[in-house]
Order: sequence, then C-alpha cells, then structure tokens
Amino acid sequence: MLANGDLSRLVTDTRIHRDLFQDRAIFDLEMERIFARSWVYVGHDSQVPEPGDFLCTRIGAQPVVMVRHTDGKVHVLYNRCGHRGVKVVAEEEGNAKRFMCMYHGWTYDTNGDLDFVTQPEGYPEGRHPDKVRDGMGRIARVDDLCGFVFANQSEEGPGLRDWLGANAVCLEDLADSAPDGEVEIRGGVHRYMYRGNWKFQIDNLSDMYHPAYSHESSSRPTGQQFARRKGDKGGIEFRGKRGRVKSMDPLGVSALPNGHSWQGGLPQIENTSELHREYVRRLEARHGPERTKEVLTKTRHNVIFYPNMAMQELNPHIRVIRPVAADLTEIFVYPIRLKGAPEQMFREQIRILNGTHSASSMVQTDDVEAFARAQEGLSTTGNEWILLARAGEEKVDPATGRVSSIGTSEVAMRNHYATWLSLMSRA
Amino acid sequence: MAGAENGRGGAALAELLVAREVERFLIREVGLLDDRRFEDWIELFTEDGTYWAPARVDQDDPWEHVSLFFDDRELMTTRLARLRHPRVYAQIPHSRTSHTIGNVTVDPPDPDADAYEVGARFVMLDYRSGHGQRSFGGRYDYRLVREGDSFRIASKKATLLNCDAVHEAISIPF
Repeated sequence: MLANGDLSRLVTDTRIHRDLFQDRAIFDLEMERIFARSWVYVGHDSQVPEPGDFLCTRIGAQPVVMVRHTDGKVHVLYNRCGHRGVKVVAEEEGNAKRFMCMYHGWTYDTNGDLDFVTQPEGYPEGRHPDKVRDGMGRIARVDDLCGFVFANQSEEGPGLRDWLGANAVCLEDLADSAPDGEVEIRGGVHRYMYRGNWKFQIDNLSDMYHPAYSHESSSRPTGQQFARRKGDKGGIEFRGKRGRVKSMDPLGVSALPNGHSWQGGLPQIENTSELHREYVRRLEARHGPERTKEVLTKTRHNVIFYPNMAMQELNPHIRVIRPVAADLTEIFVYPIRLKGAPEQMFREQIRILNGTHSASSMVQTDDVEAFARAQEGLSTTGNEWILLARAGEEKVDPATGRVSSIGTSEVAMRNHYATWLSLMSRA
Repeated sequence: MAGAENGRGGAALAELLVAREVERFLIREVGLLDDRRFEDWIELFTEDGTYWAPARVDQDDPWEHVSLFFDDRELMTTRLARLRHPRVYAQIPHSRTSHTIGNVTVDPPDPDADAYEVGARFVMLDYRSGHGQRSFGGRYDYRLVREGDSFRIASKKATLLNCDAVHEAISIPF
C-alpha cells in the first residue's frame, strides 16, 4: 500500500509525477478513494423513464445498474448477486419486473432487495438469507440535478449540490436552453477507447492551449474549423492573419472546488438560419428576450464534473469517462435533446456529433492519439515529471471559490491535481 | 421449345453479367480506399450520395441515432481532405487497409434497371505501424444508379458486426 507521504511527493505546485499515469497501485487507489467516495455521474433519468427501466453502467471499474423502482425512485445497485457474487444483469438496458440471477435463480426487486430464494427449505432456521443484507446492494447515496443522476458510495462528505458547487448552475442553464425547460438523453451513444490514463481526458477538457496544434488537420487552410452547429457561419478560428495561431486566452478558464472546471465559451458565431430563428422564438416564448439572450450566449464550452463527466452546451452532449486500467480508458458520448426545440435541430446535432465525437470523428481521434502517445512517452525515465506551469493573472470569486484565469492557463489542471491529492490522501 | 430455353438461358446470362458488372464495380470502389485514392472514391458517389456506418446493427435511421459515419459529399470531402493534411496526427503513421468483398447480391437482377439494391459482405483489415492490425467486417448495403456503362453510389451503408463495440480511433471508411 502506498503511504500518504508518498502521494504528496507526486504532486507539486507546478509538476505532477509520471506515476500518476503509470502506476497500477495508484490506479487501484483512485478507484477506492476517488470513484468510491465522490459523487460520480451515473446516467440521466430520461434513460429510465418507466418503472422497471434499467441501464447497466460502471462506477469506476465496478458494474452497477441504474433502475427505476415501482415507486418511481431511481436506485443505483451493485450488479452482483447477494448469494455468490455473480453479475445479475447482463443486458445493457431494458425493462424488468425483477432481476433474476442466472446461477441459482435468486430474484431481486428493482430496488435491489432480495425477492425470492429458490428451494428455501435448504436454509435451516436462522440461516435464511436476509432481504436487504443479501440483496444486490444499493449505492449509499443517489441524487440528481435536472435529471442528471449522480451516485456516491460513501455516506460521508458533502451532498450533491455542495459537491457540484458553481457547476450546478451549468446543468440548470442547460435545462433553460430547452424551450420546455427540460433535457433528455436520446439518440444512442458514441463509444471509443484509448490506451492511456483517464486523467488525460480530464486535463484535455480544460486545455485551450492544444486545439490549434493537435487539431490543425481539422481546419481549412484559412485556419477555421468546420461549423459545430447547423446554420453557423463557420467554426472555431485556430489561426488569424498571416497564419499566426490565435490565442484562446481571451476565452478564459475557471477552476472550481472539488476538481471541477470549465472553459470559457467560444466566440459567438452568427446563425441566421430559419431553424435557429425558430428555436430562438420558442425560447423567447418561455423566457422572454432578456433571459433568452443570456441562454444563447454560451459563457462556457466544456464543463468538467469531476471525476467522470463533462458537458458541452454548444452542440449539447455529455461525455462520460470510464477508467478501465491505468493505461486504458473508455469514453461514452451521449447527445442531449433540448425538449421543445425544433426536431430538425436535434437531427442536425446528431449529424454534427458524428463528425466531432464518434470513434471515427475528425476531432477526438487526434485527442486520443495524444493521450496514447502521452502514456507511451511517460514510460520514459529520463524526466519523471509533467509540467503544468502555464499561468496568467488569477481572480478568485469568494462566494463560490472559483478561480478564473486566461484561457491557456493550466490552473484547472493544477486544481484537478490538488483535488486528486486531497481525495487520495484520505485513508 | 428450343427458343424458350434459349430465352431463359439468355436471361440467366444477362443476370450473370449484371451481377459480375456490379461486383467489379464494388471491387474497384473499395480498392480506391485501399489505394488511398480518396478523391476518386468520393467521385463515385452521386451529388446527393451518402456514406453511412451505423452504431447499431438494427439502426434504420441515420438522423435519430448516432452513427460511426454519416457523411454527405461535403462531409466526405472535409474528412478526406483531413487525411491529406501533413499533420493529421491520428494517422501518423497512416493506416494500411485491405477491403475484401463477397456474397454479392443484386436486386433486381434485370440488366436494364436504372437502379440496384446491392447487398454484400466485407472484411476490412486496418494496420497502423506500431499499433497492430485490426479487423472489421459486416454487411454492405448499396443503392447503385446506372450511369453510362458504369454506376454511381446513391448510398452505401456499412454495418459492422461490432458496430456498437467500444472502438479505438477509426480513420478510413469501411
């Protein structure tokens, strides 16, 4: 077992040690001290609308089932039989009155309680399995915000809202960007993996320094990327006059307590399409012109919900980070439908998301290449450290603890590792 | 009597010829990808032609559900222009691919039809130096339209056997 003193030596003010990415013992400890003790994103309640609807996923490396019980409550269950530990639910999603274990036919209610034990006469007086203790087991705390369900395996620590802090507003703003005031997850999931550590993806999501370099091939000779939204006149500008890389510093980046962060919103791109105008009309009908203008001005690009989820509002989707091993990570990307928005808008969203976030996308493929190369590069021993020293002027909002700085500052990554160390150091 | 037999034989021969013609076209089509002649590959599609690789085996709509690929000519051009970029890092080194096509069916078999629904099975090997070799395979569904003595692709759908798996990055169309 790693001692806490060892861990604190791995994170300095401006550098982190390569063991954070390479060491299997550290990975195992992360599953225990970060993923088993924080509010981890599990799924959206629109994925289990009816009683009995379930979805299999993972918290860290553990298989779990998110399920809506007969009373309407959403539970997150450990996916194991109370008897011999066999994984009970094998389908990825579906609807069930009860779950039955394949091994000896034990059945469970959709809240995880043991329902029926086959051949019960085989358990003498005093040995009969217990409804709850020998059930599948419920995750200690489950809570949601705007339908986004998070689970925490520990009874201790802050509640979900406190954990999310200023990030909670991001989910509320997302809901406000739907003319019906609600979002849902629909249209399936993009899945891809890379041979690298999960934290590369977290850091990348607050990294506004890399796009002009890593993603250069996705831009035209003019230095402009393709449009990210139907009707947008162009896309992100990587380069300005005379081919000089355009700094993303003016966009800013924010670091929040508990490892969360967000990137400032990309510059507004004009959209005069009829589709967009119809969307604006519907928003105005709900919010009035002032709030609509606020909702449409995207002040954040990628928002990280530490440790395993990120959201993007421009072409709305969430990204779930699934650590598999120290050097293997899966990414699941779900489109978000803004309820009440024109149906065609969602169709265009899906089409553009294919180009940016599928396994064969024109953007993520460069990022995962970088992550795999980082994993390989960090196997070298000549320099044991990763440098995270980029910084600009920092402003602190005392109310939320939010630290904001220039776009290419690595403050969000330093914040990420400060949280990492604090969580990892709790025995 | 003999004439009728000749008629049947003639029709069978015509069917065989159109099947062979389609098959040769498909062999050439996937060969363009293997030869990295991406611009020529795009030219095989009609102006409103689409290339689609669904993310579910039972997916019947590219608009209501995400896909691995769903490209019109414009997106194909953007995607394949990217593959020509000197700094397309996901493809340095670039993939070598080998597409094999078989079990080709043509509907209707009528040699004078304007359009054909074509089914086939495929295997694509994808090798990136230093990254090992991957194999993809599954079913192709094409809609081909007659153009002169050849065809153009109105739609190509490549349904991978494992289209819903968690894939590593994919760059070259199936």
